[in-house]
Amino acid sequence: MDIPLFSERSIWTMIHGIGLGGGALLTSFAMLFFLVALRTDAFGEQVNYEARWFTWLAVATVILLWLAVIIGTYVTFPPYRATPPEGLTDLSAYPRALIRSDPSTAWLHSFAMEAKEHVPWIAAIVATPVAFVSVRYGSRILSDRSLRNVATTLTAVCVVLVAIATLLGTFVNKVAPLH
Amino acid sequence: MASTMSDADTREAGVAQPVGAAMAAYVAAGIGAFALGLIVILNAFGLITVPALYSPAGGVTGRTAFGVVVWLIAWAILHARWKNSDLDVGRMHRITIALVVAGVVLSLPIFAG
Repeated sequence: MDIPLFSERSIWTMIHGIGLGGGALLTSFAMLFFLVALRTDAFGEQVNYEARWFTWLAVATVILLWLAVIIGTYVTFPPYRATPPEGLTDLSAYPRALIRSDPSTAWLHSFAMEAKEHVPWIAAIVATPVAFVSVRYGSRILSDRSLRNVATTLTAVCVVLVAIATLLGTFVNKVAPLH
Repeated sequence: MASTMSDADTREAGVAQPVGAAMAAYVAAGIGAFALGLIVILNAFGLITVPALYSPAGGVTGRTAFGVVVWLIAWAILHARWKNSDLDVGRMHRITIALVVAGVVLSLPIFAG
């Protein structure tokens, strides 16, 4: 019997969770590090150089986040929430039904997945203006204290939201993976 | 023209780009986050019905799409109004964070569930 190492559904889940979600977590945390560690009141070639790297990082974060939420919502979520045929006892191909069938794991849908439906979209929305300001204002994102403070707060919110979504997604996938 | 100058050019010329465009982007993100949270909770309590844009994925497609549309419209309007203005950044910062936090809280299933 030919058993594939990964099914199409599991590959999409890995692209969504590990590639895009995990990538966004890494890059958004790197943005936060940049904003805190490389803050400066000076300007000049060095700050411009650092700001160019920050801009690349911010744009990459936004691209990863938007791809993660769009693929998560439109590609990996439909097979997760598919309704099993009446009377089916093996629910392993129907993650939502499998999770809800056991009271000890039901919270993974009622809280974890319900939160994951919307929170990552907010993360993508709050990350986008940071990238926009970085592109439009250049090194001022690092050297202008007021612009930097707002960017730092929004990036910190983004990191927390992405971390929560990633952690909850890991829990769901641990109990009911999309095979 | 200041709008076509790079950041370094504007600094050398002693002209700083107004922060209005940045504040428009930040505050619009707050409005978008809050709108999404509000749509989620109003829909959860049956006060509004948001249709699904893609039925296999369910109502989340409609709720998030409406939130994104509100965000982009708010951004376009605020950008047009504020792009040449210098605004109180601290006040805009507080407004943005309050809206984002409210949006996140409203979207959580402990309230909307």
